[in-house]
Amino acid sequence: MKFFRILFITSALIFNSCAEDLDFDQVNDYVLRPIYTSALTSFTLLPAQLFDSNGVQQNSITDITNFEVFTDDFVKDNIVKIDFYSEIKNDFDRAVTINIDFLDRNNNVVYSFTPIQVQSKELDFTYLEEIAIASNPTLSETFKIRVEAVLENTGTQMNPNSTEEFEFKSAITVYIEADF
Amino acid sequence: MKKLFLFTCLFSVLQLQSQNKQILYDFADLPQTLLLNPAIEPSYKFHVGLPFLSGISSNIGSSNFKLTDIFANDGRSINDKISSIINSISSRDFGTINTQIEIINAGFRLRDNYYINFGFYQEIDAIGYFPRDLLVFFNEGNATNLNRPFSASHIRYKFDYLGVLHAGISKIINDKLSVGGRLKIYSSSINLQSNNNTGTFTTVNGQNSIYRHIFSNVNINLLTSGLIEDNEFVDDAKSIIKNTFFGSNSNVGLGFDFGLNYKISDQLQFSASLLDVGFITYKNNVKNTRIRGDHIFEGVEFEYDANSNLDYWGQIDQAFKDQLPNTEDEVAYTSFRPVKLNAALKYSFGEKRRLLCYNEVYKDYYENAIGAQLFSVSRPLTTQLALTLFYEKELIKNTWAKLTYTVDDFSYTNISFGFSTQVSKFNFYIMADNLLEFSNLSAANSLSFQLGFNLLFN
Repeated sequence: MKFFRILFITSALIFNSCAEDLDFDQVNDYVLRPIYTSALTSFTLLPAQLFDSNGVQQNSITDITNFEVFTDDFVKDNIVKIDFYSEIKNDFDRAVTINIDFLDRNNNVVYSFTPIQVQSKELDFTYLEEIAIASNPTLSETFKIRVEAVLENTGTQMNPNSTEEFEFKSAITVYIEADF
Repeated sequence: MKKLFLFTCLFSVLQLQSQNKQILYDFADLPQTLLLNPAIEPSYKFHVGLPFLSGISSNIGSSNFKLTDIFANDGRSINDKISSIINSISSRDFGTINTQIEIINAGFRLRDNYYINFGFYQEIDAIGYFPRDLLVFFNEGNATNLNRPFSASHIRYKFDYLGVLHAGISKIINDKLSVGGRLKIYSSSINLQSNNNTGTFTTVNGQNSIYRHIFSNVNINLLTSGLIEDNEFVDDAKSIIKNTFFGSNSNVGLGFDFGLNYKISDQLQFSASLLDVGFITYKNNVKNTRIRGDHIFEGVEFEYDANSNLDYWGQIDQAFKDQLPNTEDEVAYTSFRPVKLNAALKYSFGEKRRLLCYNEVYKDYYENAIGAQLFSVSRPLTTQLALTLFYEKELIKNTWAKLTYTVDDFSYTNISFGFSTQVSKFNFYIMADNLLEFSNLSAANSLSFQLGFNLLFN
């Protein structure tokens, strides 16, 4: 009988365990919310770059690059907001307006930023634009970025030998909200 | 549903076996103790373990983190709970799973001085350290972590699924000393491992651009064997299992166990063993991925050169490929098995008893024993240690109990209990640890239990 009593006590000890009521459904409430930031585009312009081979000043120049971050399904499906931030130094003798467009694969504009006007000799200009994807759903189709710099038409040409610079730097911050 | 999930977890745990078998070590003359120290001298003439049932046991553990930390029904947001765990863990914290299922286990006495035993078991052994920086990067991103280096050295894991064919012998040298050894031939089906990675990713404020993204000294090696065949994931369970039985795509290795058992006096005994001193060479279905290099990314720098039509994005892509190449290869690699060390000092006392062992040989023993055991296992980052104090008692004839208290990486309060009984030739044993957590298994950092059936013949 002692044997069975020992066996019973041992079994009771080992099998009569409990586990706190866990709620595994909480996993469904988990939302991954990372915020990634990256350098985007930058350039430095000297007046000489604005003159064509005939010595005529161009009042606007444009450059374009692919930007294929949004082709990643995870980003495309879960992006909720982007912040576009730029720092500009305009040492030119005239105002410069920067026009930035996000384009899709077929060069259709999916989002146009408010033109950024930087006055002459404005050396610490910053600009922030926050864009909610819910209000601009096509933005996630972005495949290219086009940046145009437009010079103020003062009626006089700049000095092509001047070393005054126009500096533009930008960064993008991407807000993700992904279900588990 | 939740209970079913938990039950499933626990059942899967049932098939796992602790690396540290502090209760089983030198307990109740069980045949399975020979796998922990090949020098332990059994008192029977021969034994046969019940196929598939002689050694079923479990261990799952996680340092510094438990199920209730995330899934407790406490009204806190799961996002807060996960963030708080990520902030509290370190890259030295880890999770482990170890599974061993004995398929066969048998042994017999050869003359009076030798006991030969052999068998085959399957093992799953996994350890993963928490890649803290990676978790922070995925959970928070880099925007709120400027100037913080995210380190690739936190990527550290090892997974093995293998079969082990083994044969051991214990020899009585004299009244005081017995020694033992075991040869193991490993048949690995799947191995995944990554260790000794280097490299950081840091976002800092830039000069020419708003940010500089710096990849520094990156050297990441992700090694796999048995997982990918002809660029496809191997998903045929039969072939995966077959490779643990020396199938055509198995990876073979060799290992040894050593042990000794020394009676310092009639009541005091010292024993020690070194297990799995061996290696496996992975040659079949190897697919390794390596990322190496240094790179700085500062965004797209426009040139506004009307004469060139630069593919800025293509240049960036190419720069990443050139400076931070991601390559794949099928180069064979060798991996050492996690070596385990056991050592124990055992003091027997109380009523002296006598057991008929074999061929009219009697063995004297005491009703009680106390002692200390040390266990260590080599792991990718450090050697893990566990110290155990135990009390063992023969409750009634052929029925033994052992109570242990263990301090290890998982807890300072691990109390375990083991029970073994023999009715006629039939032996049954059962053991469980972390008894203090039995009132709430979900809150335990580690759980293990072991049970099995043997036939013992005198």
